[in-house]
Amino acid sequence: MPRPEPALTPSFKRPPSRVVIRKAQSYGADLSGIIFEALQIFGLPVRGKSVFLKPNLVGPDHRRIINTHPAVIAGTREAFLRLGAAQVVIGDGPAVERDFQGILESMQFAQFGRDLIANLVDLNTDDVCKVILHTRASRLHELYLPNSLQRADFVVSLPKLKTHHWAGASLSLKNMFGVVPGSCYGWPKNILHWAGIDKAILDLNAAIRPDFAIVDGIVGMEGNGPIQGQPKACGVLIIGDDPVAVDATAARVMELRPEKIKHIEAAGTLLGHLHADKIEQLGESIDSSKTDFAVIDQFKELKAAINGS
Amino acid sequence: MDTLPELSKSGLEWGAEGAFAASVLIPALLASQNPDGGWGFRANLQSRIEPTAWAFLALREYSTEPGAESASQRAIDFIRDAQLPNGSWPVATPSRQPAPGTDHAAAEENGAWVTALGCWALLIAGNSRDPLKRGLEWLCNDRPGESGFWWRLRRTIAGNSNVKQSDSYFGWSWTPGTASWVEPTSHALIALRSAPRDILPATAAERIKLAEAMLYDRMCIGGGWNCGNPMVYGVPGEPLVGPTVWALIALRADSQRSQNQLSLDWLERTFGEMGSPESMTLAHIGLKLNKRDGQNQPALIRKSLENRVQDLSAPDLAWAALALASKITWVPTQH
Repeated sequence: MPRPEPALTPSFKRPPSRVVIRKAQSYGADLSGIIFEALQIFGLPVRGKSVFLKPNLVGPDHRRIINTHPAVIAGTREAFLRLGAAQVVIGDGPAVERDFQGILESMQFAQFGRDLIANLVDLNTDDVCKVILHTRASRLHELYLPNSLQRADFVVSLPKLKTHHWAGASLSLKNMFGVVPGSCYGWPKNILHWAGIDKAILDLNAAIRPDFAIVDGIVGMEGNGPIQGQPKACGVLIIGDDPVAVDATAARVMELRPEKIKHIEAAGTLLGHLHADKIEQLGESIDSSKTDFAVIDQFKELKAAINGS
Repeated sequence: MDTLPELSKSGLEWGAEGAFAASVLIPALLASQNPDGGWGFRANLQSRIEPTAWAFLALREYSTEPGAESASQRAIDFIRDAQLPNGSWPVATPSRQPAPGTDHAAAEENGAWVTALGCWALLIAGNSRDPLKRGLEWLCNDRPGESGFWWRLRRTIAGNSNVKQSDSYFGWSWTPGTASWVEPTSHALIALRSAPRDILPATAAERIKLAEAMLYDRMCIGGGWNCGNPMVYGVPGEPLVGPTVWALIALRADSQRSQNQLSLDWLERTFGEMGSPESMTLAHIGLKLNKRDGQNQPALIRKSLENRVQDLSAPDLAWAALALASKITWVPTQH
């Protein structure tokens, strides 16, 4: 059964969102502790619930610069278990490669414990049910979506901080493309591109409504992301209960203008807060976290001084 | 469960690796068949066309093993029953017993890329002339989005310097109406090039020609294929095992062509770096069909599978069994 879809509330009727920036200089840091401490700020209703973590596992990643780092995934899982979650499942449907085990091996996932792998689901080959996309921003009217995601009480988008050569940036909203099953729509999930990437991101997030987002910005990717870009050390985790606000903050950290990233701008009207005056920034400031991410020429307009707007 | 038996249960000699497949992989596949005759991607999941087609092909190759013949018959019955009125197959199948007031057509109006796999299974099954003909007709009528006049006109006017590919060629898409990609094009080519000529639609020859040209156009610079982007923003794309193997099978009539050989070179070089059973088995299949497989590859594949059989999906089990089989009757003869 599809997840109950909360009513859409225009952003001007929403209370301010909260986003926490935490420093983490390396993947060897106590990420579970850092994330647990940040999660406590939000008082999340996850005790006894099933939590679904959606990392960004695009494809093979021998250098660990493309996908969400397994240390962040493991740390997040542990933090939600410490908060009392009954179950924490991790799942993604890689976009360009169907050998899920091969991707995990390329990332040396096994180093992070058998328990982590035992709770991983390949969403490309999961059971599916059809979900109506009520927002109809794109030409998509419905999509098969995986049941493991649909069954979850609480969905967390867990992307990597990256630029993207079609969408401008790949953050928590764009990350949800990965839930669309390859067994139905292929590798890559071209139906989403064909329907208009930015509009499809909006439709998909309006249907799934991820409850929370944690961006792995310890080492991000700049330039020709999401696969062929260059690693960019940024040393932050960006955490919040409004994926739009998290993405807007992440973009500002990357020294990109979020209101110029079409899908974030569109999501800012219906799904969450884009504007800085509606986002309560906690932890480190954006200014102290800023790192200049290079973009390809097609997205030069995203680069500008961030002046709080 | 993963211990190596001397002989398969049927008592036939398969060779060490074939015996492993017959005694470990095939029973695991049989155990995960759903009551409706189909397979989900894993045990107890919804029956779908893709895993059922691969399982069917594997069971046919091991049809002398206990239970394989009857299971493959139920599998092909499932595939035949799931065909939609327009000849295509859906990516997710409705239940075999539709709810009152519904039918297959209502549950899923149009099929998609798995139609080529449905046709492939029917080709191997035989005795399926009419459903096969309808499947092939659907394939030939299914044109990707970039083959349309308005799309091509827009592309001609606006251009696209982001990707390096010829817009003159097209193949098949994953989802009807979207762009051509390497894997669905390869699967459709395998079905069309192997089907009896007298049931091929009149447009088949032209579609085959365009699709073969598309595959060569989309090959990565150093050989091999990825999903279909050999170059994006001036950066060469890396080949992947799955698309490379399916493209090589689709293009095997030209196996001596330099592009095929370059791709086989890449596959051969890469085999030693692979750790996952899926990539190793597919790579071995591609090399074996082109008589480029190494003698030690089956043993390496078996080693990669030991103690991991329970983690394998139905397609992985089927591909591994097919890779270790002593014969290759599951790949239809091309004409």
